[in-house]
Amino acid sequence: MPMVLLECDKDIPEREKHIYLKVDGEDSRDYLPVANASTIPGTLSERGCAFCGAKLVIGGVLKDTIQMIHGPIGCAYDTWHTKRYPSDNGHFQMKYVWSTDMKESHIVFGGEKRLEKSMHEAFDEMPEIKRMIVYTTCPTALIGDDIKAVAKKVMEARPDVDVFTCECPGFAGVSQSKGHHVLNIGWVNEKVGNIEPEITAKHTMNFIGDYNIQGDTQLLQQYWDKLGIQVIAHFTGNANYDDLRAMHRAQLNVVNCARSAGYIANELKKKYGIPRLDIDSWGFNYMAEGIRKISAFFGIEDKGEALIAEEYAKWKPKLDWYKERLKGTKMAIWTGGPRLWHWTKSVEDDLGVQVVAMSSKFGHQEDFEKVIARGQAGTYYIDDGNELEFFEIIDLVKPDVIFTGPRVGELVKKLHIPYVNGHAYHNGPYMGFEGFVNLARDMYNAIYNPLLKLAATDPRATLSTPAKEAAE
Amino acid sequence: MGCEVTTRERAGIINPMYDCQPAGAQYAGIGVKDCIPLVHGGQGCTMFVRLLFAQHFKENFDIASTSLHEDSAVFGGHQRIEDGVLTLVRRYPELRVIPIITTCSTEVIGDDVEGTITRCNKAIKAEFPDRKVHVVPVHTPSFKSSQVGGYSECLLSLVKSLATHKAAPSGKLNLFPGWVNPGDVTLLKHYLREMGVEGTVFMDTEDFDSPMLPDKTIHTHGRTTVEDLQGSANAVASLALARYEGASSAQYLQTEFEVPAHIVSTPYGIANTDAMLQKISEITGKPIPESLIRERGVAIDALQDLAHMFFADKRVALFGHPDLVIGLAEFCMEVELKPVLLLLGDDNSRYKKDPRLLALKSKVDWDMEVVCNADLWELEKRVKAPDTRIDMILGHSKGRYVAIDANIPMTRVGFPTFDRAGLYRHPTMGYRGAMLLGEAIANSLFTHMEYTRNREWILNTW
Amino acid sequence: MTPEKIDQLFDYVQERCLWQFFSRAWDREENIDGILKAAAALLTGQPPALDTPMDRLFYADAKVMVSDLRERFPWIEDSGAAQIRDLLHGLKDKLTEFTITKSLNHELNHTLY
Repeated sequence: MPMVLLECDKDIPEREKHIYLKVDGEDSRDYLPVANASTIPGTLSERGCAFCGAKLVIGGVLKDTIQMIHGPIGCAYDTWHTKRYPSDNGHFQMKYVWSTDMKESHIVFGGEKRLEKSMHEAFDEMPEIKRMIVYTTCPTALIGDDIKAVAKKVMEARPDVDVFTCECPGFAGVSQSKGHHVLNIGWVNEKVGNIEPEITAKHTMNFIGDYNIQGDTQLLQQYWDKLGIQVIAHFTGNANYDDLRAMHRAQLNVVNCARSAGYIANELKKKYGIPRLDIDSWGFNYMAEGIRKISAFFGIEDKGEALIAEEYAKWKPKLDWYKERLKGTKMAIWTGGPRLWHWTKSVEDDLGVQVVAMSSKFGHQEDFEKVIARGQAGTYYIDDGNELEFFEIIDLVKPDVIFTGPRVGELVKKLHIPYVNGHAYHNGPYMGFEGFVNLARDMYNAIYNPLLKLAATDPRATLSTPAKEAAE
Repeated sequence: MGCEVTTRERAGIINPMYDCQPAGAQYAGIGVKDCIPLVHGGQGCTMFVRLLFAQHFKENFDIASTSLHEDSAVFGGHQRIEDGVLTLVRRYPELRVIPIITTCSTEVIGDDVEGTITRCNKAIKAEFPDRKVHVVPVHTPSFKSSQVGGYSECLLSLVKSLATHKAAPSGKLNLFPGWVNPGDVTLLKHYLREMGVEGTVFMDTEDFDSPMLPDKTIHTHGRTTVEDLQGSANAVASLALARYEGASSAQYLQTEFEVPAHIVSTPYGIANTDAMLQKISEITGKPIPESLIRERGVAIDALQDLAHMFFADKRVALFGHPDLVIGLAEFCMEVELKPVLLLLGDDNSRYKKDPRLLALKSKVDWDMEVVCNADLWELEKRVKAPDTRIDMILGHSKGRYVAIDANIPMTRVGFPTFDRAGLYRHPTMGYRGAMLLGEAIANSLFTHMEYTRNREWILNTW
Repeated sequence: MTPEKIDQLFDYVQERCLWQFFSRAWDREENIDGILKAAAALLTGQPPALDTPMDRLFYADAKVMVSDLRERFPWIEDSGAAQIRDLLHGLKDKLTEFTITKSLNHELNHTLY
C-alpha cells in the first residue's frame, strides 16, 4: 500500500517502486523508493545528464578556471547562463564557456588535435588564466579521444598551467549524480595534495557541497570569519582551482550537500584522516546546530554561542514575522535530491510550513532514508518524478507553493500555484540565518501574490445580469 | 572603406552564439499541435533545451528523452526509441506526432532510426488500431551545422513525412517564416488577413504566449496541425522568409509537388516588408490594402523622429541567426544606423555568398566586417579593442556581459532574450516590428545617455 | 519502560542526525559507535575522549545530541550510569538494525565510495 501506483502510471507500472506515501507506524526497513535507477524513456523526466553534473554543478563554479568542453557546441551552450553562482572576482565563471566545437571530420578522424589547439588558444586568449578543466562529452567519449594525454601534452608545453580532466559523458550513469561522483573521485585522486596552503589560523576546515548559489558561500564565510576558522577550500562555491588542491590540509570537512560532494569528504577521511561532519546550512535551528558542532570540534564553544546569539537577535524577529503568516502553508519540493531532506524539517520547525510532496531528480536511496526519517506522514516521496505524475500529485495534495526549477514553475503557474526557484533561488542567498529569512520572504511574497486571486476569478461570473445576457 | 568578410580563425569556441542542431529541431517540433518530440540521446540534450525555451518564453514545453545510458552506447539505443514512443503514445492519448530527434551520441552509435520507426508503427497499430501517430525521423547530429540547421532539418523532415501526396489545390499560401517569435507569427497572420489571403504559417507558434486562465487549462503548444503539414503539398505557393530556416522545405515542396517556392529577403525593415507584401500580392493577385499602407506610414513616421536625430552615424554590432542579422543590418541602414560588425555563428559556407550580404557590401561607404563561424569572443575582442567604437549592440541575451562589461547599450533581439521581459510577444518582422525595434534601440540609447550623463539634457525637450 | 525510552531516543536520532545516514555501512557503524560512546561519557559525567580528530568529531556530534536529549527527555537526568549504558546500548542496536542490517539501501555495501 505505501508504495503508490498513480493513475497516470498504469502503463508504466514499474514506477510504483519509486513513489512512497509515508504512513504512521512504518519505517524504512519496510519501504524505501528505488532511486538512482535508469529512467523510463519517454516519461518526460526532469533529469539532466552526467556531464552537467560535473561541469555545471561543480567544476563550472570555480572562478579562475577555463571550462573546456570537448564536444559539439550544444554541451557548452546549454551549461552556460543556467546557474546563479556569482563570485567575488566579477563572475568570470558565469560569463564564459569554452567548446572545441567538434564537427563531423573530427568525429571521423579524432578530436585530440582539435582539443589541443583549443586549449592553447584559450590560454592565449586569456593569458591571466592558468587553470583549466577539460570535459569529455558523449561523442568524444564514444570515439575514444584520450583527453588525459592531451592535457599532459599541454601542461608540458606550458609549465605554468594546470589542467584537470573529467571523463564523464552525458550517457554515463542515470543522471547528474554520476557526474558529481566522477569529478569528486577524479579530483581527490589527481589534484588534492599537490599544493600546500598558507595556514593563517589555528583552526582550519573545508566547506564541502555548497556552490555559492546567490552568495550562499559568501554569507556563510562571515560566520567562519567571526569564529576565526580558516576555510582552506570551498568545494566549490566562489573557489579557486588551487584552493581545492590543498584540501588535504584541513582539520575538518564540513559537508552541506552530501549528495554531490559526500564522496570527496569520504575519500579525504580515508586518505588523510580528516573527519567528516555533515550539517544542514538552511534553517535557523539547523544552522545553529551546525555552528555548535563545528565550535565543539574546535573547542571554541563560546565564540559559537556568541555568534548564534548575535544572529538570532538580528534575524529571529524577522523570521517570526513570516512564520506567523506562513503557518499551515502546504509546500512541495521538486528539486535535485538533498534539498528535500535539508528543507522538509527546517521549514516545519522554523516556519510552520507543511511539506506535502517531494520529488528528487537524482537522489540516491540514502537521500530517501534521510527525507523519510525527517518528513511527515501523509507526504509523497517521489524518485525521478515526471510531468503527468506532478499533475496527479498536485491534485492529491494541493500545495500552496512549489519549490522547483523555472520551467516547472512556468507549468504550475497555469494551475495558479506560485513557484519559488528551489535550485537558483528567487532572491537569495537562502543559507544561514539571514538566508532563511530571505527564503521565508520569497515564500510569503509568492503565496500572498494578489495576482493569484485575480487569475482564479472569471469576471463574467460577477457581471450584473443584463450585462451577462448581453455577453452571452 | 568597404566590407570585409572574415572567419573565426580559432579552432575552439569561447561563448557560442548558437546551440546545436538538436536544439533547433526541438524548437521546430514544439510548433506542431499534439506533438511531443522524442530526443534520442542523453537526458541533458532535452533538459537544457526545455530550460532554454522556458527562459525565453517563460513557458513550459513538453519534450521527451530516450534517456540514453551506457548500455545503449554499447548495444545500441533502438529499444529505447521504441520504449519511448510507446510510453508516450500510451500516456498521451491526444498525441499525433512524435519526431525522433537524433543527437551526436546516437548518430555516432549509428542507431537505425528508420527501421525502429517501422517497428514502432507496427506496435502502435497493434495496440491502438484506431489511432494514427506519425513517428518522424529527424537526423540532427550535433557535430553538424547548428540550431539554425537543426530547425530547418526538423521542419523539412516533418514536411517530408506528412506531406506525402498531392490532393485538390487548397489555394492557400505556405508561409515559412523561420525561427521567429509568436509576435512575428501574429503579425504575419494579420498581414495575410488584411490582404484576404488564406495561408498557413509553419510553425504557428502564436500560443507560445499563453494565458493563465480561471479554469486552469494549459494552452501552451504549437498550432500547426497534422492537416496543415499534409496540406502543404496542395498550396498555391510557398513563401520562405528565411533562407536558412525553412527555405529547404519550400524547395522540397516545389520539387516534389510543384508548389512554386519563393524565397524573399527576410522581412526586417521597411523595404524588405514591402518586398514580401509585393510578392504575396504577385502570387495571389490580391492588392496590398490601404490598412497596411497606413501601418507602414505609422512605422516610417515613428522612425523618422529617430533616424537623423539619434541614429545617424551610430556604429552597431549585430549577432544572432543569419537571416536575422542580415535583415537587421538592412534595417539599420534604412534608419541611418551604421552596421559595422555582423557576426554569423556557424560554419555554413553559404552565408558568404548570400545575395543580401553581397548587396550590403556594395552599399556601405564605411568599414564593415562580417565574421562567419563567429563566437561571442569575436565580438568581445573587437569591442574591447582600443581602436574600435561600437555604440550599440543588437543581439540575444547570451551576449549580455559583453555589453555590460564594456558599458555599451544593447538592445535585445533574436533568440534567446531571457534577460528582458516579454520580447517574444512583439514582432520584429514587418512594419510594426521595425518600428518597435527602432524604438527599443532609441530607448536603450536614451537610458544609456542618462546613466552615463552623456548629453542626457538633449532629452529635456525632445 | 526501557523500550519506550529507547524508542524516544531513536525517534530523536532518526529525525535529527545526519551521521546515521552516511553513505556506506562501515561509515554508519563507525559513527554510531563513536557518537554513542561519546554520548555515554557525557551523560554519565565521564570526560569524553578528545585525543584524535575523530574523537573530537564524535564529541561534537554527541554534545549537541546530549544537550537536545536533556532538554527533550528530562527523565534522562534521573537515570543512573548503568541505566544510561543500557539505554544507549538499546539505541545502538536499534540504529544498527534500521540503518545498516535491515536498511533497504542498496548502496550501503559497495566497496568503493
